[in-house]
Amino acid sequence: MSTEQPAGDQADVLELPATPRATDIALNELELVYAFIYARVGNRADTEDLTQQVAMKAIPRLREGAPASAIRGYLFATARSVLGGFWSTRLGLSEAELREDLAMAIPPGPPSEEGAETVQLILAQLSDNYRRVLQLRFLHGYSLKEVAAEMNSTVGAIKVMQLRALRAAAKVRLGE
Amino acid sequence: MNHMPENRVDKIVADLLRGRRLKLRGGDAEEKAAITAAARLAGTRQGPQRMHPEFRKRLSRALEDTPEEGWVTRRAALVAGLGLAAGAAGGAFFGRAMEPKAVVKAGEPINPVNGRWIDVAAMSDLVEGQGKHVVAGSVGAFLFRRGDSVTAVSSICSHLPCELWWDRKGANLACPCHPATFNSDGRSTDPYGPPPLNTVHVRLTSAGRVEVLGTE
Repeated sequence: MSTEQPAGDQADVLELPATPRATDIALNELELVYAFIYARVGNRADTEDLTQQVAMKAIPRLREGAPASAIRGYLFATARSVLGGFWSTRLGLSEAELREDLAMAIPPGPPSEEGAETVQLILAQLSDNYRRVLQLRFLHGYSLKEVAAEMNSTVGAIKVMQLRALRAAAKVRLGE
Repeated sequence: MNHMPENRVDKIVADLLRGRRLKLRGGDAEEKAAITAAARLAGTRQGPQRMHPEFRKRLSRALEDTPEEGWVTRRAALVAGLGLAAGAAGGAFFGRAMEPKAVVKAGEPINPVNGRWIDVAAMSDLVEGQGKHVVAGSVGAFLFRRGDSVTAVSSICSHLPCELWWDRKGANLACPCHPATFNSDGRSTDPYGPPPLNTVHVRLTSAGRVEVLGTE
């Protein structure tokens, strides 16, 4: 390997990458936390608030030099805690009362890729009518009236069917 | 007609589909399963979401301003009974002015600042093999009877500031925030799990009352 020394004072300096700080690693990991929370509360405003809460709770306690995997584990444990607090506050229930639904709102396992296929997996386990009403409403964005027309039914009946379909969807477990 | 559950849940679904914040109210807990399912379907229908650049910038600035060391954590403050109820809204940490002795290491007994013995139960109320949750001011504990003696561990998880609950089926203390469970002696049921719970001072009076060292 040859090295050429440039003339004069303008020597090239090899800039070694600095060791990433825990907060920098955490900021990248928080992207995953954001997606994880969004997939459970379903809207941007609440997701931003909760992600910020996770960051403010967890980051002051991260050790410099901690590996990214440890930081991720800690951030997700904090995210689960924050989600527990969110649902218990919004629903006016203690976290102990909420625990039956924790699997839906706050899965105990590690985060996994979640997306449109998660919806399909949930829907696949429902009866035809329940699946159809949720597909039209959530995936196609139909109004109740449009769903009723599509399914040859009434708005009232579709509303009841939607409620029952959501209750059934809540019981679906995806191996979390 | 809004009191009909199908109307109420549809209002929540409609808000979610318009990208609005979840606004819930008294009585919605009846339909908690349907509501959490609706939020989940709304949240996953478009695939994984990323932060908006503006929010990412805001978050980054907030992190830059966050102190990193020497602060009493919320969990430590909760365990030590510094007057903050579990589950209450609050910051992640408290001021440096906090009494440093109040911070206890995992597994150590809690000695609250200006602690007082608080009557929490009758010994006859305790059932062998069952945990009983008690509160002594700002110290929360689970009591366990073993014959004629009683022991107590903190009701706050040793990992996160979460209030544990007694799982009758599993006969252990479970954390609602992550998959952690503890035996009645405060040790994690998983050898690779979190550190042991803090212990709580407890005594039995001659009148058969159980007292815990807590706060007013």
